[in-house]
Amino acid sequence: MASLQIREALRAAIDEEMARDERVFVMGEEVGYYDGAYKVTEGLLTKYGERRVVDTPIAEAGFAGVGIGAAMCGLRPIIEFMTFNFSAVAFDQILNNAAKIRQLTGGQFTLPIVFRGPNGAAHMLSSTHSQAFESFYCGFPGVKVVSVATPYDAKGLLKSAVRDDNPIIFFESEIMYANRGEVPDEEYLIPIGKADIKRACGEASKGNIPITVITWGQGVSVALAAAELAAKEGLDCEVIDLRTLRPLDDEAVLTSVRKTNRVILVYHGWPYGGTGAELSDRIQRLAFDHLDAPVLRVCYEDVNMPYAENLEQLVLPTAQKALEALREVAYRKV
Amino acid sequence: MATIVQLPRLSDTMEEGVIAKWHIKPGDTVKRGQLIAEIETDKATMEFESFDAGTVLALVAAEGETLPIGATIAVLGKPGEDPEQALAGAVKGKAAAKSTGDGDDAAGEPEPTSDETAVVEPEQTPAAKPPAKKKKKKSFTQQKVTSDVSSPVTEVPDPETDGDDGDDDAEGSDAEGSDADADDADDEDDEDDEDALAATPDDRGDRIAASPLARRLAREKGLSLADIPGSGPRGRVVKTDVEMAAKTAAKAAARRSGASLAPKPAGDTVVVLSQMRKAIARRMAKANAEIPHFYLTIVIDMGRVAAMRDEIAAADIKVSYNDFVLMGCAKALRVHPEVNAFWNGETIVRRGDVHLGIAVALDEGLVVPVLRHADTLTLSTIAATARELGTRARAKTLEASALSGSTFSVSNLGMFGIEAFSAVVNPGEGAILAVGGIADEAVVVEGQLGIGKRMRVTLSCDHRVMDGAAGARFLATLQGMLEHPMRLLA
Repeated sequence: MASLQIREALRAAIDEEMARDERVFVMGEEVGYYDGAYKVTEGLLTKYGERRVVDTPIAEAGFAGVGIGAAMCGLRPIIEFMTFNFSAVAFDQILNNAAKIRQLTGGQFTLPIVFRGPNGAAHMLSSTHSQAFESFYCGFPGVKVVSVATPYDAKGLLKSAVRDDNPIIFFESEIMYANRGEVPDEEYLIPIGKADIKRACGEASKGNIPITVITWGQGVSVALAAAELAAKEGLDCEVIDLRTLRPLDDEAVLTSVRKTNRVILVYHGWPYGGTGAELSDRIQRLAFDHLDAPVLRVCYEDVNMPYAENLEQLVLPTAQKALEALREVAYRKV
Repeated sequence: MATIVQLPRLSDTMEEGVIAKWHIKPGDTVKRGQLIAEIETDKATMEFESFDAGTVLALVAAEGETLPIGATIAVLGKPGEDPEQALAGAVKGKAAAKSTGDGDDAAGEPEPTSDETAVVEPEQTPAAKPPAKKKKKKSFTQQKVTSDVSSPVTEVPDPETDGDDGDDDAEGSDAEGSDADADDADDEDDEDDEDALAATPDDRGDRIAASPLARRLAREKGLSLADIPGSGPRGRVVKTDVEMAAKTAAKAAARRSGASLAPKPAGDTVVVLSQMRKAIARRMAKANAEIPHFYLTIVIDMGRVAAMRDEIAAADIKVSYNDFVLMGCAKALRVHPEVNAFWNGETIVRRGDVHLGIAVALDEGLVVPVLRHADTLTLSTIAATARELGTRARAKTLEASALSGSTFSVSNLGMFGIEAFSAVVNPGEGAILAVGGIADEAVVVEGQLGIGKRMRVTLSCDHRVMDGAAGARFLATLQGMLEHPMRLLA
């Protein structure tokens, strides 16, 4: 086992897939000679050359479209958005071409393409560079959406994404690229659509109230920190990292909710619509008779992300806010 | 935030209660579920376990004092907190109980009240008049609190959430924040909406706030949500409340069986219907409603059958009394085809074959496997087949075809010590024979008192198919065959 940063795990995944399959190539702004804005693609230009590591102009609609065309012609592009904020410029390409062409052509064309990059708020990037795009991309039936929180998951899921014949939206985070974790030396894949229990809970008993905490991406570390605080109060969290936001792993979610009867959602994203709202709907619909409290969400406040550090802290989901939600679903008054 | 503890409703008919004994004193720390008082109700002295946690700030009710449901009996809160503020808010709860109680009570007792009637218009409450711009919201909040006396614990409205005349800023905003975690961009609106919902008159009236899980658990445990005080927000009944209520019910049951206290109702058990139960219920209800039954009972001397059975048993062949009855019925049905018949709406159908249904009791109901062409079988074949049908019925290995097609049925409860009974005719048949036990009886034979083996059988008949005389003739034939069993061989 090697201890890798998330950026290194992503790079290892790209490197292995490029070595395995010559149809795989990387394209984006500064992925080559600058080694990537967040150094994910470091060294790949030297190893694979300009033909397979392609620096582009600042023109997201253009290179997203070129990637889609390449995928239609049989290549397997990995398109890096410096951040997903800039994918807004390429929105039409992703929404109307990537997500639709396979169906529009009756399956004559597949779209094996990965759009990857950081998503959501990081630290003082202000409103236009702190967008959380899961609510948009998860709304398109033609794409799959992945959001990773550990080096192990990042590598295993990116390799699966590259091998998938559908367009994959692959979310990372600026503040998590340096996070370290164990990654096996041997090759492995993590299937898309499978959640992971990052912290298991015990049985309900006097003095131990299990609660399901569903999270993904940047929310995972917030949820785990809240779980530590809550454990001191007899609130026992089962932290489920969805890892894939579309398709959702209903079974993992419902199994846990049926066990705990209480659930909160902790995530980087806005409350209106999106994955959090979708989960709330599925849980109340599919586990109605198992709920002892309303499903609560700890996410961004419903305002544009402020730049000021103190204000940004107020808007972001925090362990303390999650703890308060945990107390509330456990009917604990403080 | 201080919490008012109210006198809870501890039985269906309880209207007032007496604090028999306090188990807490001011300054004590109370946990949820902790025994805090014993309360005398109209039925018994019950233990009252706290729905809330906190430090006891004050005991308002004295031991021995008679109080209406919902009366303030204690105040919980944080150490050092002033109970007076909470009590000032609670006065209206108490006043509410009094004011309606007086009006209702013809007998003129001082303060009786029932919580269903303790609803007070916001205008009547002694609390300060709300500022104009918050008028709607404030009155809703007050109405919610005053009408909530069925819930033993009511949160004292925090000045900050209640309006803007409070000075306890930090706590007030806390309470608001936790309520609207995910969607409080426009906090004020949300707060208004929730209060408006909570205060809709019919919402508080017949709809009981309960979590879906609590509803399911109450249903499974056979508890009525209306009798369970809710500890959740706005009096919502949650899982722990149902579990506590179940425990209280169990304790009460245990006490009832052990001690000298007056009996209290134990919770009923709701049995979910098996498919078999459903089928029995449907068919028997239909039979009883549609078939005009009449019943004929005859006494049969079984002395000779007993002797013959002993002779057969000596040859190691197992034959029961019921096998003789089955054989007798089969032969008698051949003699009386009008009994081997059923009502077919516009016509009566006399059956060509004799297929006997044999009622077999199972733990979860009964089935009636069919002994086919019973009139053509020897006694030992009837015995062996009936035994096998019984065994397979109990093992539930009978195929559906073995359970249908009978033309006449026999039900025997003799092994339970039943002397005589009457059975319900199975739809599709014209009669059923209910067989009682065989007992040694004092009998008079030819003027002499002696001991004889006697069995009573009762024939239930569909009057549309046959009349009394037809049934009687069949029974006489059956009696003759069993009293002279050699005729069975004829």
